[in-house]
Order: sequence, then structure tokens, then C-alpha cells
Amino acid sequence: MASSWCWNCLSRLRPLSRALTAPSATPRISSAPFHSTAVQYAQPAKKKGGSLTVMKHRQSTSLRRKKKKVTERSRPPAVGERKALRKRIVLSNPNALEVEGMLDLSPETMVDSRLRGTVLGLPVPMIDRLRAVQAFKPKQGWSIFRRPGTVLRRDTIEMGRLFEQISGEGDNAQKGKVVKKIVTGMKGSGKTVHLLQAMTMAFLKNWAVVAIPDARDLVSGGTAYAAIEGSNPTQYVQPNATSALLSRTVDANRELLASLKVSQKHPNLKMLKPNSTLEDLAKLGFTDPAVSWAVFQALWTELTATAPAEGLEKNFQPRPPMLVTVDGLAHWMTESAYRSADYKLIHAHDLSFVNHFLSLLKDGDSLKNGGLLLYSTSSSNNPNPEGFKIALDRLAARRAGISPSSPEYPHLSAYSDADPRVLDLFQSAEKSLELQTLSGLTREETRGFMEYFARSGLLREIINDQWVSEKWSLSGGGVIGELEKLGRRVRGTVSASK
Amino acid sequence: MVFILGVNFPERNLLKASRTLTQSGQQKSLETFFGIGNNTSARLMSRFNIHPTCRVGELANKQVLDLTAVLSEMKIENDLRREVLNDIKRMKETGTYRGRRHALGLPVRGQRTRTQIKTPVKLNRMERRL
Repeated sequence: MASSWCWNCLSRLRPLSRALTAPSATPRISSAPFHSTAVQYAQPAKKKGGSLTVMKHRQSTSLRRKKKKVTERSRPPAVGERKALRKRIVLSNPNALEVEGMLDLSPETMVDSRLRGTVLGLPVPMIDRLRAVQAFKPKQGWSIFRRPGTVLRRDTIEMGRLFEQISGEGDNAQKGKVVKKIVTGMKGSGKTVHLLQAMTMAFLKNWAVVAIPDARDLVSGGTAYAAIEGSNPTQYVQPNATSALLSRTVDANRELLASLKVSQKHPNLKMLKPNSTLEDLAKLGFTDPAVSWAVFQALWTELTATAPAEGLEKNFQPRPPMLVTVDGLAHWMTESAYRSADYKLIHAHDLSFVNHFLSLLKDGDSLKNGGLLLYSTSSSNNPNPEGFKIALDRLAARRAGISPSSPEYPHLSAYSDADPRVLDLFQSAEKSLELQTLSGLTREETRGFMEYFARSGLLREIINDQWVSEKWSLSGGGVIGELEKLGRRVRGTVSASK
Repeated sequence: MVFILGVNFPERNLLKASRTLTQSGQQKSLETFFGIGNNTSARLMSRFNIHPTCRVGELANKQVLDLTAVLSEMKIENDLRREVLNDIKRMKETGTYRGRRHALGLPVRGQRTRTQIKTPVKLNRMERRL
């Protein structure tokens, strides 16, 4: 402790009590030899270390912070779990009200024009089979209703009648007829659900159903491919995709395939036992992908056979008509993501799987026992190849009666890079191919559809003509996808509108 | 586990590297070989009809053998490293401008040196490593 006397001037400094000075916050300076000024008056010591204002040469001036390491706390989801969640299809909602008096889609109701505009439930035994052919898509609104149902619209009734005709029932039966259609329409117009209705009808009529739920899967480079040796131009098989198709087809048509016996000779398939059913035949393919393409071809010849081969007449039963559906056709009208051995993109038509299904569109009886080809486009996932667009326009023009020589007929623009292979395909299919454009529902159908929402407890509105008319306009003229969006928007209170 | 050119590849790995997986830095793929990048690996795979999202476990035996055969003939890994180092050494020895820049730890291809020359400072030195 310094003395309270200054030795230099001998003046008395202000006395301070000991208690105040003792716990001094300032550091005690003991090395100030010639002055005895009290420690508490001393300047605080300067901090050591470089200040920010002193720049070093070539040093960045930006503020550097150490990044915090993100430590993973939970385990990542198991392999395939996220995809399973993404692709999950929920078909029932126990919170939704059960709609009383709801009819099922059946051979009788699907052609009944009195029921037009009502929502018909999908028959319960069909649901597993429809799941097997992947007729339901994850983003469709099945999960808001008690049970899956579809609206019976004009196109559905027409299709029902077509099914009757081809099956050889009804007034103007045309057994063995083949109808080839491309289904188009704007986004949300119900193209995929139209295919689903077709599949349900086909199951109800005991047809064979072969469905390709997403055409893109075959050309996006996500499944194995192999060149067929000796083919010119080189064709490619997709063994895994084929065996997946076989397994889907067997799951969906198990009863039918189990009841039909092999009636043709298949020299390529040595492991096929005599007298086996078509189910056994198809099973060969999905246990061993290497032979799946040969098995698929064999199954196809069996299903389209009209008469048995020699020596196999004993077990032959007439084959049923077939329904073939493809969703997202536009992906097949351009080059695929696969590459050939010399690193050129492979055209989708060179994949023999794709080529098989496209060649069914060409003129002539591709399905010998009759049936329906429904190939739909997709508007939400569309590569929009120019050749396909022009080909569809031409198809529409031809149906409208415009001759190819007239100036209104869609022509290629001068520098168009439309794919000649696509144009050729449609050229060779022009006689039998039809274009079906799905548009919006009518007002009456809209009313029936919205009433279904109300009766399921989703919509708390009084449904009258004015309200329906408003929603019909809001949905762009009854586009069913837009109507669904309007219907599922839950309101808290009952609107007072009358 | 599948051996391709003496390297052990876990079966569930993508054969070609996908962007998300390589970021984690743990995936072994064709592109982990020095000298094989996006283009080379894509060409290699299309040569043997292997689809772009193929996993190592999905390869047929023949495809594995074919890949190994082709890879063993390519100049990759240490051979390629040696070649690049030799090229740099030759430039240094003949005293070319590029050689000098390599030796001085400065950018070689005419970049400015006022800022942003971290990479040459790090890499270009007398005893160059790759």
C-alpha cells in the first residue's frame, strides 16, 4: 500500500479508507518507482494483441467464422424407407363419413346412363388387383374419402359400352374388335383415373390387363438394359423392367392366368414344363430376369393366340380380350437416357419393350382376341417432344375431317426438328387410331361430384345450382382435378349463401 | 463386396458417382479413380450397357471383368500422376515460362496474382505433389 504522502511535493493526498482501496479492480502497479500516486488513479493496462486496424499483408478482411459442425443425432432412415413413404398410397380415411347408398362399379352400373354424375365405389375385391397394376398414384386424393370411388362421367359410360361391345354382350356386339385410343386432356382432367376405370371394368369383365403405370420408368435410365445380339439396328431389352411387368401382370390377373394352359410351342423356353398354366409361364420370368423378355414374348403369344398349336389342342381355352394401358406416352416419343456402346443416345423406339407396346398401335389386328388399347399422355410430366405434338394435332385434324392436302392441316414448320420416327409411327397407325380428349365435367356431373364431397363430410356448403355453377366456372369448366381442390378445402362455418 | 481393379466396392454403392453421394465423401465409385471423371465413367458404362443408376451389386460378373480389363489398360491412378509430374518436371528443366511459374508457386496460365492465388501457392512448388 502506497503512503498517503507524496514524497515529491510532500503534500498530503486525500485520505482514503482502507476498506475502499483494498479490493481494487485495477491491477496494482508496483513498478512505478518515482511516483507514489495511489494505485486507483492509474490508467488500466492496455490489452495485448493486435488490433483489427493493423492489417497484415495479403490478409483477407472478411470476417471468418468457424463453421459449426452439424452433428447427426438421429439415425438416417433405413434404405428404401423414404421412397416407400413417398410412394405410399392411402385409399381409406376412417374420419370421413361413409356415403350411404353408394353403388359399386359393376357390369350393370358402368353402362347405366341414369347414374351419370354419381360417384361409384370401386369394388372391394378389385382394389388389391388395381394396386397390383399400380393404377393408383400417390398424389391423387384417395386418402380423403372413406373408400375409393370415381365419378361416372360421359366418357366412362361410353367406355363401359365399348367394353360390353368387345366382350360380345349388349345390342351391337362386336366380339373381337380392337379399339386403339390415345387419351389426352388438360392437367387434372382425369386421364389417369380414366385408365383406372378402364382397368376396373376390364377386371369386372374378366379381361387380361397389361398395364404400364409410368412410361417414363422405361426410358429414364433407371433400369438395366442389354443389347440384343445380332439385331440391326441394335435393339435393347430391359430384363428387370420386364420381370417387374410380369410380376405385376400375374398379381393382377392371377385367376385368369391360372385357368389358362400353355397352347403354343416355345422352343426358346426349355425349362417350361408341358401342361403348365400361363401363371407358371410368367413366373419363370420374374424369378430369372435374364429370360424375362423371352417369357414375356411367350406370354404375349399365348394371350393373343386364337387357336392351339398342333398336339396341344387338349387344354386350349379361348383367350379373353385384353386391355393394354400406358400412362405418360410422350416419354416414349423421344430419345431415352440410355446410351449405346458408342455413346450415342438410344431412341426410345429401339428399346424392344417400348417398341412392342408402340407397335400395337399400328394398323391391323394387334390384339387377336379383341381388346382395348388406352395410351394416355400426362400434362404434369411431359417432355413435350415436337413430333408427338404434331402427330396428335394431325390425328385430331383427321378426325375432324380435315384432309392432309388442306392448308388447315397441321404442317411441320420450316426448321422443325420433329422426330421422323414418331411421325412414321403415327403415319402407320392413322387408320385405326383414335384420339380421345377428356374435357371438364358438365354442370350436372359437377353437382354429383360435389355432393359426394358434401356427403363425405368434407364440404360444408349448401349445394345449389348457383354454387355449383360458380365452382364449375372456377375450375376452368369442370376440370375434375380443380374441382377436387375446391371440394377438399375445408370450411369452418356453414356459408349463409342460399 | 465387388473387386474392380483391386479396389473393394460395397455392393449398394452407385457405380458412377452421384452428386449427393460423393459429397458425403464416403462413397466408392468409378469416379474415385484418379483420372476418371464424369465423362470417362459415363462412356465406360455405356460401352458395357450399364445404366447410369446401376449399383455395384447389380453388375453381372462379365461386366465386372470387362470393366477391370478396360481400367487396367487405361492410364489412371499412379501412372497418370507420374505422367503429369513428369510433364511439369520437363517444363521446369527446360526453363520454360510455365516451368518457372510452377517452381515459383505462382499461377501458370496467365491468371492475375494480386488476389486469389491460393491454389497455386498451395500446389506449385519445387517438389510438386498430386
